Amino acid sequence: MFYRESGDFKKTYRDDSQTFPIKFDRRRYYVVMAIAFLVLPWFITDYIANAVMIPFLVWAIAALGLNILVGYCGQLSLGTGGFMAVGAYATYKLMTSFPGMDMFSVVLLSGFITAFVGMIFGLPSLRIKGFYLAVATLAAQFFLVWLLNKVPWFYNYSASGQITAPERSMFGIIITGPYASPVTGYLFCLILAIGLAWVARNLTRGRLGRSWMAIRDMDIAAEIIGVNPLMAKLSAFAVSSFFVGVAGSLFFSVYLGAAEVTEAFSINVSFAVLFMVIIGGLGSIFGSFVGAAFMVLMPVLLKNILVGGLGWPTDLAAHLEFIIVGALIVIFLIVEPHGLAQMARVLKEKLRLWPFPH
Amino acid sequence: MSADFLYTLEVILNGLMAGVMYSLVALGFVLIFKASGIFNYAQGVMALFAAMTLVGIQTGQIPFAHLINAIFGTEMHHFGWQVPAFLAIILTVGVMVLFAMIVEKYILHHLVNQEPIILFMATIGLAYFMEGFGDIMWGSEIKTMDVGIPSGGSLWLEEYTLGWAAEGERYWGMYIDKLDMVATLVAVILVVSLTLFSQYTKTGRALRAVADDHQAALSVGISLRAIWVIVWSIAGFVALVAGIMWGAKSGVQFSLSLIALKALPVLMLGGFTSIPGAIIGGLIIGVGEKLFEFAIGPMIGGATENWFAYVLALMFLVFRPQGLFGEKIIERV
Amino acid sequence: MSIQNTTADQQGQPEVLLDLKNISLSFGGVKAITDISFDIYEGEVRAIIGPNGAGKSSMLNVINGFYHPQEGEIWFDGKQRTGMKPYEIAYQGIARTFQNIALFKGMSVLDNLMTGRFTHMNKNLFWQALWKGPAEQEEIINREFVEHIIDFLEIQAIRKTPVGRLPYGLQKRVELGRALAAQPKLLLLDEPMAGMNVEEKEDMCRFILDVNDTFGTTIALIEHDMGVVMDISDRVVVLDYGRKIGDGDPTAVRNDQTVIDAYLGVSH
Repeated sequence: MFYRESGDFKKTYRDDSQTFPIKFDRRRYYVVMAIAFLVLPWFITDYIANAVMIPFLVWAIAALGLNILVGYCGQLSLGTGGFMAVGAYATYKLMTSFPGMDMFSVVLLSGFITAFVGMIFGLPSLRIKGFYLAVATLAAQFFLVWLLNKVPWFYNYSASGQITAPERSMFGIIITGPYASPVTGYLFCLILAIGLAWVARNLTRGRLGRSWMAIRDMDIAAEIIGVNPLMAKLSAFAVSSFFVGVAGSLFFSVYLGAAEVTEAFSINVSFAVLFMVIIGGLGSIFGSFVGAAFMVLMPVLLKNILVGGLGWPTDLAAHLEFIIVGALIVIFLIVEPHGLAQMARVLKEKLRLWPFPH
Repeated sequence: MSADFLYTLEVILNGLMAGVMYSLVALGFVLIFKASGIFNYAQGVMALFAAMTLVGIQTGQIPFAHLINAIFGTEMHHFGWQVPAFLAIILTVGVMVLFAMIVEKYILHHLVNQEPIILFMATIGLAYFMEGFGDIMWGSEIKTMDVGIPSGGSLWLEEYTLGWAAEGERYWGMYIDKLDMVATLVAVILVVSLTLFSQYTKTGRALRAVADDHQAALSVGISLRAIWVIVWSIAGFVALVAGIMWGAKSGVQFSLSLIALKALPVLMLGGFTSIPGAIIGGLIIGVGEKLFEFAIGPMIGGATENWFAYVLALMFLVFRPQGLFGEKIIERV
Repeated sequence: MSIQNTTADQQGQPEVLLDLKNISLSFGGVKAITDISFDIYEGEVRAIIGPNGAGKSSMLNVINGFYHPQEGEIWFDGKQRTGMKPYEIAYQGIARTFQNIALFKGMSVLDNLMTGRFTHMNKNLFWQALWKGPAEQEEIINREFVEHIIDFLEIQAIRKTPVGRLPYGLQKRVELGRALAAQPKLLLLDEPMAGMNVEEKEDMCRFILDVNDTFGTTIALIEHDMGVVMDISDRVVVLDYGRKIGDGDPTAVRNDQTVIDAYLGVSH
């Protein structure tokens, strides 16, 4: 009924290629934005901000990054944890070396540093494909974590080997450190997440995004049409790593506050982000958010129900989480390889015709 | 002989032994990949699961005891009996066959003709599932594996090699774990029997036919589903062997599933489809990482075993993308 | 060689767009192409025919740079080409379609055609990330061009359909569209009519001739349907076992004894 596109004609190519071509979608998007920026900050508790909203936004950025690489460019990477670690340590070094730098620049610069590292590890992708590349990215994961753990310069020679985020602010508002309010952290992450989602959308609908998808779908045809495979793959690695680096930076500075590289950025992080991308939907920006929301909310819910409600031991709940995540991955790949985003799309198709499907 | 030389020799020998262990896991990968084109990430977890099941059966644990206790508030853990190792192994093989059937029926059957990358990700999901399932079934505490394999350094070898060093050098003989020697022997037997099986039996031929071309194999009357169950059962058996060896060596615990990750670079070197490749790849990685840690590790902070295998495989692949034994890939348009 | 270059005689000296001189190509020990020379004139439809395994597809792959011949020279547009990558050759103005359709299956028809415009777009990462401004402008200009192609190929209705869902004949048409979107100087078609029914073949013939007429695009095509080849091509080159056995206009080739023996066979 509400979900109508008939009569919503597009007269220019500009209108035709906008992000939300259907009016209802567009309005809903504005409403969600308004709630996220204007309503939520007044109502969320510190617990919700810290345990749900901030990790959701941070993981969403990471999932966006990985989705660009895996979903759009078709290059499977298992090195996300390592690249997030690079972002986190870059942030730490920038924060401690240049105390005057504002957080926004710190986060973006960390992203650029990670992009550079990502490009170096993306170089083999020209010669290596498929699983072989996935294993090659494992080299990035293990090598980077080892390097950040073994070279004391990266953690400023601290005795514990940990990095701790000092207090930094922007426009006089404290964003990191022990006195930062979770709500400002939430807003800071929100602005970055939305800005980056917008960038991701722009890149994927334009020339660059098409060259990524062309490489993903049929690399030989892409090359013959004029796409330089090295440039396409490296740019995908760079952009993807930029996003992942920003996520790592926020994960450390805003969410965790303190981190130890082998704990916080292990191979499990790489898999978790990959799962978000699969569950949410390969090659979908909306899906990256959905997948992140799912992977953040599910453990919280399970924990509240099983441990809080039924009084089960925590380790049992954790095992059950493994089972559920694993089963869901398999189910999704069987039922809908394009994830929740595709399910939403199918639902939309049906809604369009509802209530008269014939 | 100088002591330095002997130490290096010992490092190489130990590396070879470690390599055999990697090969054992890699072998399971190769089997499944050859028969179904699936890169089975869950192979490592299968080894862990098999080892847990073996220990669980042997010590008479009640499956799902934790879950049952949590739901019904009971306090039970063991049946109170001990199962002899041999019987327990047979029962575990039974469990792995059952597992193969379940995987075929509920996963593979539904994913036929999907892209390899999707299948790969499905096995990652499977790995997570099995990990949680194994923990709920048998508990996540570290268990000791005892099926009567001798372990500890070989005194005989130590004494025998003691006299090799030049006069006056500080050398106490060579240390090689008996367990590693047994593992090597088992691996050799396993490889030989697998090769014989695939070359000289009807099932083996069918298996190779399926590996070559699913459609063609189907058309001559080979049941794809039966073959997959067989292959996954064999892989489950190989996983059990690997699980026993690794479990006896370092205890049955979560980190066991991570050896799957180590098997990946082994496969990259050896190629995904070659059984001898898996063995040689494993040996190269084993020796390589031990030697690197021995020679260069101390200079750069140690613990290089974490990443050396991957970086070696990466370097290698850039120059030879098809692996040591893979056929040269000619791209066609 | 018994066949003379009749078109050249009739029209004076036409402009040579692509000149292949003594090309030899082998894979390992297998010789795919042995010492083949032929040229393609500006604005003509040039057919390459021959039995299976004659080296036709290899020839196309040599032309668009996917294979590098061990011997011989390739002159395109008056310049000799040395060791170029396929994507560089795309920038020179050579586009192609494939024997087995090589579309980007996950993308819509429109996106496939827009990818064909790749060589005509050049806004950098920064502008693309921003979208508003130059990148959007460039997108719209190219969209307009692509819409012309869509109209030309009569595929307006399936613009936004993912190509994976289209029937075979339409996919072939979209692939032609993608190649056309690149505004190539030379268009290579590898069996554009394979597996089509008569109606689809007629459509495809019409499009090929129209492309040649309206855009003036030079076309080189491989085709097995002799009727089609004789109808639409200006000149034909015949390959057999990696060697050239005939070259000339369709009638001359049809009557050439070597060609009949080797290829057309006794049934005619």
